[in-house]
Amino acid sequence: MADTYGVGIGWRPEIDGFVAELPGLRFAEVVAESVHAQGDLPAGLSRLIDRGVTVVPHGVRLSLGGAEPVDPERVRHLAAVAGRLNAPLVSEHIAFVRAAGIEAGHLLPLPRSRDAVDAVVANVKRTQAELPVPIALEPIAALFDWPDDELSEADFLTEILDRTGAGLLLDIANVYANARNRGDDPLELLDKLPLDRVAYVHVAGGDEHDGLYHDTHTHATPQPVLDLVAELCRRHRPPALMLERDGDYPPAAELRTELDAIAAASGYPAIT
Amino acid sequence: MSDLAARQAALVEALTAGKPVPDGFDGFRVEAARVALLRKRAGEVSRQWPMLAASFGERWKREFGEWAAARPTQGSLRDGWDMARELHKRGSLNGAAAEELAEREAAMRYDGAGAPQPRRTPAVRSAAGAVVVQFAGRVRVIRRAS
Repeated sequence: MADTYGVGIGWRPEIDGFVAELPGLRFAEVVAESVHAQGDLPAGLSRLIDRGVTVVPHGVRLSLGGAEPVDPERVRHLAAVAGRLNAPLVSEHIAFVRAAGIEAGHLLPLPRSRDAVDAVVANVKRTQAELPVPIALEPIAALFDWPDDELSEADFLTEILDRTGAGLLLDIANVYANARNRGDDPLELLDKLPLDRVAYVHVAGGDEHDGLYHDTHTHATPQPVLDLVAELCRRHRPPALMLERDGDYPPAAELRTELDAIAAASGYPAIT
Repeated sequence: MSDLAARQAALVEALTAGKPVPDGFDGFRVEAARVALLRKRAGEVSRQWPMLAASFGERWKREFGEWAAARPTQGSLRDGWDMARELHKRGSLNGAAAEELAEREAAMRYDGAGAPQPRRTPAVRSAAGAVVVQFAGRVRVIRRAS
């Protein structure tokens, strides 16, 4: 993705009509598992592609951080969807979602250990071998850490990126959530990450429960996350930043305000 | 099984199957993640089974969370189906939620263990106050006059 796309949004069937009416939209993302490898694309998604919007498939079930090898069938599906969408890249998470045949139902954190790095790198390489386009990897928000982390978060991520050649999908709300829940400074992580490797950025909202910040994607993006967007763009502005909203959809005017706030914080033109 | 595989399995079982939190983890935080996971599952099941969720009103997330606490997800379609069948067996599935289950039972064959498959033959199911007929893949609900 050498191009610059500006502000985008995660396409979801529930906000299909809203997304269709964004005049300046050039970038969107769709959950890869929600797209059929064959058969018709959802009509709204086809129309976006027809009008030249770049749509990136975002996998959530590959389990790249699983100790077991990634499921070849899931990799083939992701590759097929990338082809169908004519996407310039795909993305997935640095996380595991199942173990010993049990689905966790969510993205779970890895220990920041040497053997976990090896497991992720092996699975990313297996995936890259089948993909027609590059992959960007997203570090997740985690409510807890493993007890025996050997590497700092920045070293853990940088080593995975260096050994795989993958891009970074930086979720700025995850950076905020993890720093807040660990009592760290989010700017310290930003200063240590290879920001020139950022393919695009996720922006999302969350909520606090019992003293922990939950990255829900069902609340409005809070001001401190928008402030981090500005800090990130001051250091190295990524080619695209997109709003990730996964439920409790607000009225269109509120979503537009949020997209405008991301535009203002990043210095990209408003797309509304 | 590698050390990493065994440790990942133990963590997933703590989060989804009611097993103890592995040594060294922050119990409060793992519990917060477990509860958040159940809330997320409840939201996903309510999108697949809107009438089932609506039948519980404000209590839905809590009730689903209790039902699902030691049942790892089989996907939101099957999770909702299993819960609805259990409630139906106990005689506590009523109204629109019972009709929703009858519609699914008429449209698809589900053995409780694998992915539901579309029925190739006509089927009739009854629910409280209604009969559901499926013919050539089309599902009709016939409500009895009350």
